[in-house]
Parts: sequence; C-alpha cells; structure tokens
Amino acid sequence: MTIWPEPRLLPCGDCAVSVELGDEVDRELNAHVLALEYLLQQRGLPGVGETVPSYRALLVYYDPLVLDYDTLGRTLRELVAAARPEVLPPARTVDLPCCYEGELGFELDAAAQKLDLDPAEVVRLHAAADYYVYFVGFTPGLPYMTGMPDRLTIPRLQNPRTKTPPGSVSIGGIQCCIYSVESPGGFWVLGRTPVRMYDPQAADPILLRAGDHVRFHAIGRAEYDAIAAEIAAGHYAPRIGGAAR
Amino acid sequence: MSDLLVQEPGPLTTIQDLGRFGHLRVGIPTSGPMDRDAFVLGNRLVGNPDGAAGLECTLVGPRLELTDDRLVAVTGAEVAPTLNGAAIPAWQAVPAKAGDVLRLGPARSGVRAYLAVAGGLATPVVLGSRATYVRGRLGGLEGRALRKGDRLPLGAAAPGPARRVRPRRVPAYGAEITVAVILGPQDDRFTAAGIDAFLSGPYELLPQSDRMGARLKGPFIEHTRGHDIVSDGVPMGGIQVIGEGQPIVLLADRQSAGGYTKIATVCSFDLGRIAQLKPGGRLTFRRVTVAEAHAMLRDSRRALDAAIE
Repeated sequence: MTIWPEPRLLPCGDCAVSVELGDEVDRELNAHVLALEYLLQQRGLPGVGETVPSYRALLVYYDPLVLDYDTLGRTLRELVAAARPEVLPPARTVDLPCCYEGELGFELDAAAQKLDLDPAEVVRLHAAADYYVYFVGFTPGLPYMTGMPDRLTIPRLQNPRTKTPPGSVSIGGIQCCIYSVESPGGFWVLGRTPVRMYDPQAADPILLRAGDHVRFHAIGRAEYDAIAAEIAAGHYAPRIGGAAR
Repeated sequence: MSDLLVQEPGPLTTIQDLGRFGHLRVGIPTSGPMDRDAFVLGNRLVGNPDGAAGLECTLVGPRLELTDDRLVAVTGAEVAPTLNGAAIPAWQAVPAKAGDVLRLGPARSGVRAYLAVAGGLATPVVLGSRATYVRGRLGGLEGRALRKGDRLPLGAAAPGPARRVRPRRVPAYGAEITVAVILGPQDDRFTAAGIDAFLSGPYELLPQSDRMGARLKGPFIEHTRGHDIVSDGVPMGGIQVIGEGQPIVLLADRQSAGGYTKIATVCSFDLGRIAQLKPGGRLTFRRVTVAEAHAMLRDSRRALDAAIE
C-alpha cells in the first residue's frame, strides 16, 4: 500500500478539485480518503459543496465565488495530514440475503467452469467472505467492494451484457458489485439479492455507504420470493449491525 | 387549482430546478438544467427565485394549457413560441390567461428551450429538489419525462412587471463554438501530440449525446499507457477519453464515478453552450488556467445579472 507523502491536488474545472492520496485499490488508502471527507464535512468550510469519495481520491466541489482556490487547497492539505482512519465513526455491517439459484444466478455455472470450481464451492466461498465497500456510485447506490478469497479472482466478461437486472450480485477481477439499476455490465452474475441498493420511492433511497462491510447469506428461491414480496409491501429491512474495524 | 395541463409533451420535456445536491457521493447526479443561464433568466423574467422549477424541452417543445392567469417566459433554444396560435416573443415575460394554450415549436437554433411560469412548478420535492433524473426514476413527475394528460401544479405567484432580456444579451446559438477547459485531472496520461490534437480540434457533436454526456468525434487523442485508471469521481464537464481516442463531455445526469482517463474539464460557464449545440455542430476546446476561469466565471455572472431590463 502506498499513500503518497504529499497529496496531489488536481483541478477538475473551475468548480471542483480532486485530492489524490495514492493510485491503488487498497482499504487503508481508501480509509484515508473517507477520513478526509469526514473531516472536511465536519469543518463546514463555506463554499465547499458536494464530495465524492472513490478508491484513492476525494472529489471536492466548491463555489469559487465564495471560496478561493488557494484557501481551499491550504485547508485540504491541512486536513489530509490529520485524515487517519481512526477519526471515522464505527463501520456498519449489512447482511444481505442472496439467491444463487437458477435464473437469478445465471452466470454461476459459467463462472465456476472458468474458475475450475464446483458451482456449490463458488457459492460457499462467495457467501463466506467479508466485503468492504470502498465507495458507492457510478449508478445510484452501486457498491464498489472487494473481499473475496483469491480463488474467486476472475477476468471480466469478454463481451459485456447490455442489460443486468438490479440486485445482481456479481464478480469481476478482485471486485464484487451489486447492480443498483438495470444497466450494462461486464461482471459475472452469481446471484441476486431481493434487497434494493436504490429505491427511488424511499425516503432514504440508498442502502449502502462507503466504509460499510457487507456479508451475504445464501437463500433459496422461495425465500427470495418471500423477501421480495415483503420489500414490495415495505415490511422488510436488512440486518445492519456494528463491525470491528 | 392552478395547473399546467400537458396537451402534447414533446419528445423529452422534463421538470428541472437548479439541481439535487448532496447525493453525488452515493451516485445520484445533480441533474438540473443543461443550460443554467437560460433557465435562470426565465425564472428572473417572471419574478421567480433562480431555483424555481420549470420545464426543459428538448428539440421540440410541448403544447400546454394554463388554468389561471400567469406570466410565462420562454428562453433557450429558438422555438417560435405561440399563445393561442399567435407568435409571442421569447426572452420576455408574457402575460397568459386562464384557458390560453402555449406552444413551443421545433428548435430552429439551439437544442434546449426553457419555460418558466410565475410561481414555479409545485411538483413534489424529492431529496431536496424537483429536478427530474429519468434514468434513476427520481424527481419531477414520477421520475419521468412529461406525458400527454399530465397536470403540473403551480406555486403561488404574486403579480409582477413583465420584464425582458436586453436584445443584445440574447445569446445566438451557432453551429461552431469554442469552450474553455482546464486540463486535468489525468492530462499526464496523454502524449503531447494527444493534447495538441485535443486542443486543436474541432470536434463534431454526435447525435447519441444526451443529458449524461456529449459524445464527440474528431482528431484522435493519444494516451501514454491505456485509458483505464483506478476509478475516481467524474466532475461536471469532465472529458473522458476512451479507447478510440474520442472525447465524451460528462453533463448533468452523468455517472458519479468512472474508470476512464479524463483529459480536461469544461468550465461551468460554458456548459450551457454545449447543451445548445446541435448534432453535427462543431466544438473547439480552449485551454485556460484556474485563475482565468474564475475571472471568466465572475464576468459571466455579472453579464447574467445585467441581462434583464
């Protein structure tokens, strides 16, 4: 893991700046990004707008008519120095049911073949892992996660699909993601969770947050359908608990 | 009840305000008008706050009926608006009466026309905004574009003077534009020849462009080592260059993050000009510094504040 000794502040037009802390996919590096975002929000500097954390950088929007670039830059450098993962509030663990059967896990068998594993072993390995959410986005609520055992590292699909159903739990490279809206996709779909990553009807439409941990537990099709019905009726909430850092 | 009745919706007419803020960090875009200046002027003409909700119409406007007396203003693309079949001026507040039918035609120049109605549209506020994000089925009216038969509730309006935009301040939307860019955040991933090509242009706007992004075609932009990066946030106006060496300018409904190199970012005050460029129109990028851009932004806001008489 490499966290650069000095952050790179890269202008992104006249109203945003990217604060790069490194150039890797690494939990410790990402935790520094989330800590920087947390400290910046706490600082409440007038003129700072939205922030978008990602693997190794924080994108900061600002209003240059309120906050000049030099002051913003000085503040960001100062906060980077203080941005250690210890400042973050405790992480959550979100438990998600996932059905790996039949049409819901329509690429499980192909992925198992590619990995030279039994499909049941892929499910066992996938459902036993602890996943870490680096950040959420691309489409609303989509979590960028890693945590799979190395044995499940798999090249992305040669020919991306044009449509992936929302809730699809999928793997590509060392990453795991859950599609949040119907969208194209280059990851292998192993199963589907009935829980919505993004629900535009809900008061709080987004389930997962950067820094969360996610666990999957395998369910059968009947249970999937039962939970999906509960969700449609507004009677289901996934288990969310605390986690060790 | 004060409503706007949709008799014909046009191909893509959406409710917008100045946007939904605070949710980019979970992937929900800001949305809002593609041409902010035209939108804001419409609101100011009818006496609304800048952020009141109005309509953004794409290429062809809607036909609407009013159910009470209101000031209305059409700005943005030139769409030959009519009231009960008689031409009315754009860039000017026009008093309309209950039962009047307002029609915005096909765009002669520009792409996006805006309709502001005194009192603003009073559709539900979702996550702090009335802006429509169609892909996410969020905001506006049921998260979608307008349909025939929709009724849009209007907010309370106080009577005010009928203002107009000074004729010399009415923008002309040409087929060739130059927009200011600041290089970065990944300009170091392009060769000198690649950056020269990018800054020489021109680039043609492709018809696949939408509220997510403007797709462009022109001189090949050469990378130093591939187009993939460790995914990071995608700024408003960010210019991704993908495998074919062609740029995409990411706009109001863009993805919040992505894994492609971004050579430069279009400055905020020039994004509206891209929104009004028709497919086939040509675009040239001009490099500016951050300090120059901030001075230009101030000038642009001053010009906006001086536009109405």
